[in-house]
Order: sequence, then C-alpha cells, then structure tokens
Amino acid sequence: MNNSAAIEVLDLYRSFGETRAVQGISFEVIQGEIFSLLGPNGAGKTTAISMLSCLLRPDKGDARIMGHSIISNPNEVKAVLGVVPQEIALYEDLTARENLTFWGKMYGLRGSALRRRVDEVLDIIGLRDRANERVGKYSGGMKRRVNIGVALLHKPQVIYMDEPTVGIDPQSRRNILDSVVSLKDQGMTVLYTTHYMEEAQELSNHIAIMDHGKLMAYGTHEDLVKLVGQQTRIDLTLNVDAGRVLNVWRALEGVTRVSAEDGKISVLVDDSNLVLPRLFESAAKLSTRITSVDIQEPNLEAVFLHLTGRALRD
Amino acid sequence: MKAIDIALKDMSHSFRSTSAVVFMFGIPLLVTAMFYFMFGNIASEGDFSLPRTKVVIADLDEGGPEFQVNTKNIPGGKDAHTMGQLIIGILQSEKMSDLIEVSLVPDAESAHTAVDSQAAQVALIIPPDFSKQFADLNGKAVIEFYQDPTLTIGPSIIRSILNRFMDGMSSVKIAVNVFLDEADPKDDVLAGQVVDEYLHISLAESDDPEKDLLDVRSASSAPVDKSAETTNVLLRIVSQIMAGMMVFYAFYTGTSTAQSILKEEEDRTLPRLFTTPTSQATILTGKFLAVFMTVLVQIIVLIIASKLIFGIRWGEFGPVALVVAGTVFSASSFGIFVNSLLKSTRQGGAIFGGVLTVTGMLGMISVFAAGSPTAAILSDTVSLLVPQGWAVRGLQQVMNGQPLASVLISFLGLLAWGAVFFIVGVLRFNKRYA
Repeated sequence: MNNSAAIEVLDLYRSFGETRAVQGISFEVIQGEIFSLLGPNGAGKTTAISMLSCLLRPDKGDARIMGHSIISNPNEVKAVLGVVPQEIALYEDLTARENLTFWGKMYGLRGSALRRRVDEVLDIIGLRDRANERVGKYSGGMKRRVNIGVALLHKPQVIYMDEPTVGIDPQSRRNILDSVVSLKDQGMTVLYTTHYMEEAQELSNHIAIMDHGKLMAYGTHEDLVKLVGQQTRIDLTLNVDAGRVLNVWRALEGVTRVSAEDGKISVLVDDSNLVLPRLFESAAKLSTRITSVDIQEPNLEAVFLHLTGRALRD
Repeated sequence: MKAIDIALKDMSHSFRSTSAVVFMFGIPLLVTAMFYFMFGNIASEGDFSLPRTKVVIADLDEGGPEFQVNTKNIPGGKDAHTMGQLIIGILQSEKMSDLIEVSLVPDAESAHTAVDSQAAQVALIIPPDFSKQFADLNGKAVIEFYQDPTLTIGPSIIRSILNRFMDGMSSVKIAVNVFLDEADPKDDVLAGQVVDEYLHISLAESDDPEKDLLDVRSASSAPVDKSAETTNVLLRIVSQIMAGMMVFYAFYTGTSTAQSILKEEEDRTLPRLFTTPTSQATILTGKFLAVFMTVLVQIIVLIIASKLIFGIRWGEFGPVALVVAGTVFSASSFGIFVNSLLKSTRQGGAIFGGVLTVTGMLGMISVFAAGSPTAAILSDTVSLLVPQGWAVRGLQQVMNGQPLASVLISFLGLLAWGAVFFIVGVLRFNKRYA
C-alpha cells in the first residue's frame, strides 16, 4: 500500500442479480485530499460507497481504508470512517441535539466528551441556536447539515459524502460545499460522489469518472480535460427533429462527435470559430433553423461526453 | 450499553407518538371502561340487579343410610336429609333469592324440557345415587348441569356456587379418607365426628356462608354500595375483559414496535447504524430490547391503571409477574417474527390487521365463551393454538388464585411460543442484514 493513500480500492466488483453495478474499479485517494467520484445516476457510485462503508460485501476485490481491509477488518474501518449517506438518515421525531447525541453514542462517545463534541458539531453545521427543535421541522438544507454533522462526531480520518447536495437550495448547497473544503483543511480525507460536474471541478484534487459500473477516467481536473484535447462543445437546438441533421454534421470537417438527447444536439469540435458557420450553412441547406447555440469550453462535461457519448446530466 | 441506547431511543419514539400511546393504553382502558360504566352506572342509580336466573332442579337423590352428616352445620342444610336437599337448600336460601329463582321438577326430562323451552336458564339433575356416591369414599358424586347455551352470566353464577359447594364437600371426603387411613376403619362414630367437625370449621364458622359460596376471587374488592355478590360478579366480567384487552393490545404493541426495524430500514437510519462501529448483533439486540421494554411498560401501566380505575384484583405478585414476563416475551417475539416476514412497512398494515385480529380473537375466545360449558371446553382448547390464548389463560389463572403449578404451565406455554417466534424472527433478520 502507498503510505500516503487513505483509501486504496483494489478491483472491486458487485452485482445485484443480472445487474453488474460495479465492475472492477480500482483507485487511490491520497490522505488529506478531496476525491470526487463523478458520474450520472445509476453509474455505480453509491454501490461503490456502500462497499467502502462495509455495508455491502464485494463479490470480488478489496479496499483498504487507512490500511484496514473492508473485508477482514470492517470494525476498524468503521471506526476511522464517517459516512454521509445520500438520503437524510436521521430520526425526525428527535431534535438535532438528540440525534447527534444518539449517533455519538453509536460511535462510542460518552459523558462530557460527547456533550462537548455535540456542541462543537452544532457550531460547525451552524445549528446551535435551533438544536432543540425536532429535525422533522427543519428545512431540507438544515436536515442535510445535520446529516453531515452526524458523520463528523467522532472526528473521522476519512469521510464519505454521497451526493450531499441533491435537492437542496443554492444557499444550503454553498454552505455544504464550504464545509467540505473546511473538512479538508482540518486534515480529513473526503471521498465525494456527485453527478454535478461543477462541484467536482470546484472541490476536487482528483476526480474519477464512473459510468455503468466502470471507472472511465481518473486524474486531476486538468488531466481529464486533456483527454478531450482543446475541443469545444457546442450545444444547439433546432426547430425540427434533430435526426435530420445528425449524419450531415458528423461528416463535417472539424467535427469530432455529435450526439442528440432530449431535443438538444451536442457537437464536439476542434475550433468553434471554424465549425459554427458550417453548422449554420448545412442547416440552411436542409431547410432547418438553429434556434439556440451554447458554446462550452473544454470541461468535465465534455470529458464525459467524449468518453461515453452521452451528456453527464442524462 | 449501545443496545440499551438503541432501545431507549426507540422507546422514546414510541412514547412520543400520540397514536401509539392511544393504542397502548387508551383503547384497552376505554373498552374496559365501556363495560364497567355500562354496569356501574346502572348500579349507581340504585335499581340495578342482575336478572334472576331461573333454575329447575330434578332432585332424584334417594339419600341413603350412609349419609349421616349433622347437616345443621351446613348452610341451607338445616332440614336436609340428602345431599340433593342440601343443594336445593343453598340455592333457595334467602340471600340467593335476588339472583336465583329455583323451582323443582319431578324428573330429568322435565328439567331438560324447561331449559329447551326457555322456561328456565339452567337445569340441575341430581342423580338417585348422589348421596350414596358422596358417602362412598371411592365413589364420585356427579350433578348434571344443563343450560341455555346462549347465556353466560346467569349460568356462570350457578356453576360458581355449585363448584364452591362441591369443593367444600370434596374437602370433607378427603378429610375422612385421611382419618380412615390413620384410624380404625370401623370406628364410624369417630368418622362422623370428623366429618361434623370439618364441616363446622370449613363452612359453618363463617359469618356469612352463602357469601363464601358466592365469592368470586377475581372480582374487585373496591367498595361499591351494592351486595358483594353482585359487585363481584360484575367486576369479574370487567376483569376478564381487561385481561383480554391487555393481551390483545400487548401483541399489537409488540408487532407495531417491532415494525421500527423495517421503518428504520426504509428511513435509511438502519443502514447508517451499520456504518458505525456497532455490531449487527448489538443493533438488533437493541431493537428487540426496545420491543420487550415497550410491551413491559404497557402491561405494567395497564395493570396498575386498571387496578386503580376499576379495582381489578390481579392476584399475587409472584404469579402475576410470571404471567406478565411470559406475555411480554411472547408478544414481543410475535412482533419480531411477523415483521421478519415482511418486506416493507406498506405490507404491514394489511397483514398486521389480519394476523392480529385473527390470533387475538382466537386467544380471547375463552373470555367470551365463559359460562357456556360446551363452548368453554372447545374455546379453551382452540385459544391455546395461539400465544394470546396462553396469556389470557395465565391471567385468568392468577386472577382466580390458581396454584403456581397451573400458572407455571401457562408461563411455559408462553415461553415456548415466544422462543419459537424469537428464534425464527432473529434468524430471518440476521439473514436479511447479513
């Protein structure tokens, strides 16, 4: 094992019946970094996290968390690990303080140490003044913050955050992203899963892109963007069905890839200045009108499109 | 320690839920109160009395020279020369007249006809050899008890009186048997004195022998400005209903509390618990402990509340504790077992309703069949097919002051049911979360 690796994933497999959710993924997360698993819904991210949390036993492979095997030393793994599940996993009829106290006990905290730590976590998540209200009465964003707070109680060395910003308002989202950076600053290693390209791009030291249970690419943001070279993505909508232009545009000089989903056409090009006039020209020849154009500089979205032929948000 | 933390958290959840509290405590007490006030209000108006039970007696007892007891010591037996006349005397005594109306018929057929035609509710046929059989130390004196099967209260009163009488007389036989084993079997005079003395001690020394014969041990000691007999019979009914309600809702609580395992699974808090350094065994132990503790609290509260509100006398602490422990274990394990069969709480609603209603009604059938001899025998057997039946039986036994050995059998029955449910339930949950 690499001494600086907090998480070392070694060829993990997991199937559910005929569905192969995770198909041989391997990667390393360096201590003290934020590592993002990026992929669309159904890519296998949550299954991977569940295996790394010792919730699911892999069909094959292993992983080491701070040197402890998820197969042979699950209790040691759980002791160094904080997990923020994708869903809110709290007792809604208990107050935030009661929730944190209960979960603290489950992590082995007792007495004054527990009370002190609960207060600290309430400060971290910014809910100390509303600590005695039932969680059921909280907004979605506040619940998310308590959901994260639970995972921080025992000061874990590694923290998993499984899509913690799904379905919340922009202010709470900002708050959560700031706390993730703050955790990193405190020396924690963060494994963060998301299907929001912007979050992965903003937070991560390293990013792994997953799709259909496989790791498609792995590296820093810059490394990944290089995979698509300097290609630009042009998103267009037409006044008619996209099928009319797809084959014509694929044959145009300077076009690398064309895909269409939900009425939107994405075109990867080497130089948008050269290709864009050709797109308009061929559309006109086909009696088709382009109704909107959006030019995207190379980013993770383009990487995903390049690797899978599909847009990340689909 | 973590298991206790989980159990306390679950209990706090249960007792914070208004609907859970209503079902745990409110409804059982409310149903019992309905019966209590239904009779109690009438009683408080001063004109309450149970309808008099019409009893026809065909006294065919021919007596016999062997029957030489000094009957002056037996209540109602002052002019009796046979055992049959003794019984008639007791049932015709003045203090019984508010409850029982006795008429005599010449033969068994007339007695049967009177009941069949609903001219009477109970027929007693005292056979010709009744006194002889009683006098014969190896004989068995039997009375035929024939009743209207649709009635419960009146026949149960008559049966209760007869049982007490026959118990007392059986004691005399035992005393004579013991005497004859120890003394010269031909010493008839001495034997007669023993019988006489025994009757004197066991029955005649009472200030109110008829009251003794009517005493129903499960009834309340709460002071009500009515005759003790009437009050006792009414409260006996209330006690039975309370016992039945308590068992029914204890099993309901066991099942609904155990549902928290499925609920936590759906709310994702259970998987989250599994990500903490807490073993699966500890987590499930905590969840099971919560079910046991909740049912235990429920039963204790109901016993105390019903004692305070209705004056129900539950019995001696030891036997009651034994039956309560068995009921708690059985009800909780039942809940764990039923929930282990379910995939989700959505399935629970329909299945709980069906399973709890069917098993609950089967278990309580003996409460409603009391007083009907044929139905009682059948219902006693049928009710033991479900754990609720054992719990109801155990409570009836402790309320009736039955010996610990009898209560122990009910306790073991509850334990056996509980063990089966618990083992299957735990195995299924362990497999589910493995």
